[in-house]
Amino acid sequence: MGENKSELGLLVYILPFLAVTPALFAMGWESYEASILIVAVPFMTFPVILIVGQLYNGEEFWKNKMKEGGILALGALGASLSAALWLVYDYVDALPNFDEQQSVTQWLEWVSFDLLQSDYTLTSGSKILGMGVWIDSITLMILFVATFLCFLICWFSLGYMNTDPINEDRNHRFYGEFVLFALGMFGMVLADNFLWLFIFWEVMGLCSYLLIGFYYWKDSAAYASKKAFLTTRVGDVFLMIGLFILYDIYGSLEFSVIFHDPSLNGTVDSGKLFWALLMMFIGAVGKSAQFPLHVWLPDAMEGPTPVSALIHAATMVNAGLYLVARMVPFVDVGHHGVSGLEDLGLIIAYIGGITAFMAAAIAFVQNDIKKVLAYSTMSQLAYIFTGLGSALWFYNNDEHHAAVVVFGSSMFHLFNHAMAKGMLFMASGSVIHEVHHAHDHLHHENGNGNGHDFDPQDMRNMGGLASKMPVTATAMMFGSMSIIGIPLIGGFWSKEGIIAETWLAALEHEPLMYGPAILVLLTAGMTGFYMSRMWFMTFAGEPKSEVVEHIHEETQWIKMPLVVLTAITAFGGFAFALLGATDYLSSAYDYSGHLKLHKSTLLESILYKLEYAFLPEKINLRIVGWVTIFLSFIVGPVLAARIHGGKLADGESSTPFVSWLVSASSKFGKQDVSSLAESDLSVALQNRLYFDDLYEGVLARTVIPFSQFTAWFDRNVIDGLVKQIETKSVSGSVQVRGLTTGSARDYILMATVGMLSIITLLWGMNS
Amino acid sequence: MINDPLTIITLTPILVSLVLLIVPKITSSAEGLARASRAISMGVSLGMLAITTMIFLGEIGNVDWSNYNSGYYLTNDAVALIPSIGVHWKVGADALSFPMIWLTTLLIPISMLVEWDAKKGYLFHPLILMMEGALIGVFVSLDMFVFYAFWELTLVPMFFLIMIWGGEDRKYASMKFFIYTFTASVIMLIGILVMYLYTPDVASSGSITGHSFDMSVMISSTEFIPSEGLRHLVWILLLIGFATKMPSVPVHTWLPDAHVQAPTAGSMLLAGVMLKMGAYGFLRIAVAAFPESTVAFIPLLIFLGMASLVYGAWVCMGQTNLKRMVAYSSVSHMGLIFLGIATMQPLGIAGALFMMFAHGIISPLLFAVAGAFKHHYHTLEIGSMRGIAHHSPWLSAHMMLGWMASLGLPLLAGFVAEVTILIAFWMSFGWLVLLPTLTLIITAVYYLTSMQRTIFESNDPHQGILPDTLHGEEPRDITWHENAGMIILGALTILFGILPFIFWDMMSEWSSGFLLETLVQAMQSEGVKP
Repeated sequence: MGENKSELGLLVYILPFLAVTPALFAMGWESYEASILIVAVPFMTFPVILIVGQLYNGEEFWKNKMKEGGILALGALGASLSAALWLVYDYVDALPNFDEQQSVTQWLEWVSFDLLQSDYTLTSGSKILGMGVWIDSITLMILFVATFLCFLICWFSLGYMNTDPINEDRNHRFYGEFVLFALGMFGMVLADNFLWLFIFWEVMGLCSYLLIGFYYWKDSAAYASKKAFLTTRVGDVFLMIGLFILYDIYGSLEFSVIFHDPSLNGTVDSGKLFWALLMMFIGAVGKSAQFPLHVWLPDAMEGPTPVSALIHAATMVNAGLYLVARMVPFVDVGHHGVSGLEDLGLIIAYIGGITAFMAAAIAFVQNDIKKVLAYSTMSQLAYIFTGLGSALWFYNNDEHHAAVVVFGSSMFHLFNHAMAKGMLFMASGSVIHEVHHAHDHLHHENGNGNGHDFDPQDMRNMGGLASKMPVTATAMMFGSMSIIGIPLIGGFWSKEGIIAETWLAALEHEPLMYGPAILVLLTAGMTGFYMSRMWFMTFAGEPKSEVVEHIHEETQWIKMPLVVLTAITAFGGFAFALLGATDYLSSAYDYSGHLKLHKSTLLESILYKLEYAFLPEKINLRIVGWVTIFLSFIVGPVLAARIHGGKLADGESSTPFVSWLVSASSKFGKQDVSSLAESDLSVALQNRLYFDDLYEGVLARTVIPFSQFTAWFDRNVIDGLVKQIETKSVSGSVQVRGLTTGSARDYILMATVGMLSIITLLWGMNS
Repeated sequence: MINDPLTIITLTPILVSLVLLIVPKITSSAEGLARASRAISMGVSLGMLAITTMIFLGEIGNVDWSNYNSGYYLTNDAVALIPSIGVHWKVGADALSFPMIWLTTLLIPISMLVEWDAKKGYLFHPLILMMEGALIGVFVSLDMFVFYAFWELTLVPMFFLIMIWGGEDRKYASMKFFIYTFTASVIMLIGILVMYLYTPDVASSGSITGHSFDMSVMISSTEFIPSEGLRHLVWILLLIGFATKMPSVPVHTWLPDAHVQAPTAGSMLLAGVMLKMGAYGFLRIAVAAFPESTVAFIPLLIFLGMASLVYGAWVCMGQTNLKRMVAYSSVSHMGLIFLGIATMQPLGIAGALFMMFAHGIISPLLFAVAGAFKHHYHTLEIGSMRGIAHHSPWLSAHMMLGWMASLGLPLLAGFVAEVTILIAFWMSFGWLVLLPTLTLIITAVYYLTSMQRTIFESNDPHQGILPDTLHGEEPRDITWHENAGMIILGALTILFGILPFIFWDMMSEWSSGFLLETLVQAMQSEGVKP
């Protein structure tokens, strides 16, 4: 570590970036005009970081003042954040309606063209596939999440990436690609049509490939990045087909045109639209790592930890959710939607339910701290898909109230999950970073340098970290509580809504909904278990390796994002719930939303909200709600405590809340599960239920031999035929070869003479 | 400013190159001459690029390309070349040919730059310059005889480029290249001559045969061909010639051999411009002259396009040679052009045109990368090396960009063509779109796998696994001139991915006009619904 001078002074370099937005404001720009900055500033910054970094690699100023590009990246993301906040400030209470959206400037006229209509005339006026900006409550929320988290994660990376010797002189690549990744997400959320949504979506696909493969020399990283790109590519290709169908139906891909009247006065064929939306959903399944295209996400942990935070919280996986959220107008029969699309909602809910359950089960047996979080992401996203599925189902059956609640809850869960998961990944990064350092430190002193068999991500090497890393332990505790859905904390306010309304659909309307409803309810308890297990294994009990003794929480840049996000996770959920976030987020398509208190005073609002959450009017929902709380709050954590809980070593202590939790975890007795850990089921779970093996086995036995066969076929059959003709005529060619004199003039002469003689011949025949 | 710019940009490179090729036989000081020769070649080619760029900007010829309507611009007064058979020097450009002309003038200096240090430079660079004149001649000539002469002339410099600077198997490859494409051209020539013989009598203008090679006359007089069967036959003859050039499955096998043996600059021009001659000629002559046959043979076009696209992609995946793989990927991408034309939608045809252009800047990048591997690592075998990104970061970056562009990543030029063609394809043929779209996955598989097995995964952060062919030599990154050429190509790939309308708009206008004037009537009479 050496000297530990504060590096915060470097922040002075990001001030020029932060000045851009105020400058534009002073020049009289509107915030929607300035929204181009959110994409443009990162777009102009990332090549600078990559190229300058390549040219000035290792130079003093670049390395220590620019942090190998990190400061530039932070500045660009800061500019995006400030422009996004301006947009949020302007529009949070005054959302434009469709007609105003149309008048918002087109940023880019990409391609324009005509179409031939069935009466053999061209369409009047050119069609355009361009890029503009679309603003509603969903845009604002996801844009805020993305810009805010990207900024914090970049801040965190300054501490995490630049202090690891393995990254030395490579970090410009990290920051350049990081900025491009962020740009992709910002652009996708802002785009006002499905084509540009797809374009930025693919930009993210590229960046996930680049960043997961950041340690390109590692076999596992190169393999994982390829797997991520190809798996999502499968989804993307179907998404493209969905867009083709959609274009065919509406003659446009712009939200303002399509959402205006998705049924085109009732003329739209629901069968065709169903296929379009289903194809698009397959794209979302790939991007958000849902069953059966989920295999890439756990492997994506090969990237550096900030990348995991970026993919799992701020950007990529939210893209799929965003796409499905954009399907609401198609099915909302209350507002020109097309009826007869209930099956779509059912399919989405089932995919969500299955993934939620499966991922939670696999998370039970993971010992890698990042892998637990990866499966937890998959599982929580699946919750949101289940919620969106039921929302689409309700919308399509004109159950407007239930639809609004569950849709809003799903979007709100996206927010809560993103904040909590972003923080959890950064906290896990903090843990890994310090464990790694302590390990290097220890072995440097002892002189036995071989640390290759030591895995700093394995929770079996940790334990008792609560006293060594109090800030991280507190952060991770609140993050886990939010993910579990402990009452009053973060995710509780959104998860309840999803589970309750899915049960409502099952109980009162559609028996088929019981499938996802039961699965998500069980998953709530399982979440309680695996998140608690992760926390207890890492922070509670006595140290499980000598490394722990040498851990200090001292790296710069790392704490600030954790503290900020801890506050948001702990109190943000409740605060936004009080302000009616669910109603606000579900109002995207009728523009009536306002963030405000339900009742006139704060106290009344709190009481109203608590009553609404814990004692809903319908008795069914009350039962479902309390069962959820019981499973996730009591059963899961207590089981985890019995297996992995335990007091800290003597004389160690942490922050008050954490100390209490650790000591509480030791009070539930002890259970040995080593025999269970060797059971078939456990082994199957450790092997991810063999899905990866299945896919690989099938592909290795079909695709690769087939491609080899075609290559053989081409060389020996198609080209072989040509060679046959060649050998047959070889005797003739012996004489011809004499003519190949090797001079350009002779060839031209021959060609001309040959042509003239053929002409003469044919002319003679003709006349 | 310049009276007849198209004639100038066609003839200047040829004349200069002939001088440069003949002079060495008189003088003897080789070293200084080689340098002067390549400097002159580069200077001339840059001059041509300047002229075409100024034409595009409207500085020369006063053409407002952003408001393209129809018809030819920059035409000259026809000069009789061989009046006895009706051959004239007549040139012109429209939105179909102009992007190709500009592309040619762009790629020539870049390919010279990439092979700036080629051996026997006093021959190499002038030959490329001759190539420029021949290629531009194909795109500008409005006389079928001259068109055909230039068409064959392109073979000559390419033949020598492969023959003299090629790899181990260059003799076989150059002969195969020459004979294969020459045979196809002769078949095409028969078709052209049949068209010629049915042109109306213009004996008064001095033609002894009474016929004319004027392209517009030949195209408009196909109605005089008596039977529909003969018209179809001529169309097929033309198709054989053009499809071989493109190349389309099953007449594609000359391409991989030629590419693998050709020097880098040769491959870049071969893939970048020469293949487009096929698509250009098909639209300019076969479709324009025989719209009924084209519409009647739409299923054949779809079959050829699908076969090239899908089969080409699978063959790509089975390759172990980097350059061979890239060559087959050209076959695969050219398949999309047939599919775009088959849609009979302005969108699809414009997409096909843009594909010609986009592939014209992406594939030279791919071949430049492959060539650099050959040059610096002396092997093209995928899997014979690992972790090269550590030693050659620039090369790896260009590889990444080129590979991504070729697999159709959005915001890069190739995607524009792909998505527009496929949207149009869905509108015309519905679920058949599954086949080309799913092929995009295969494309991604072979590109990503080839990257994984060359520039990644050495299992050592500080060095890669070097190929045996390096024989202990210190691995290097690409030279400055290779880098400069690739940077220009990469930048243009990004530029045209984000701002495709620079050329798209005129292509789109041309497609709409072409469809309305030429194809709609045929579609109505053949009963093909849009």
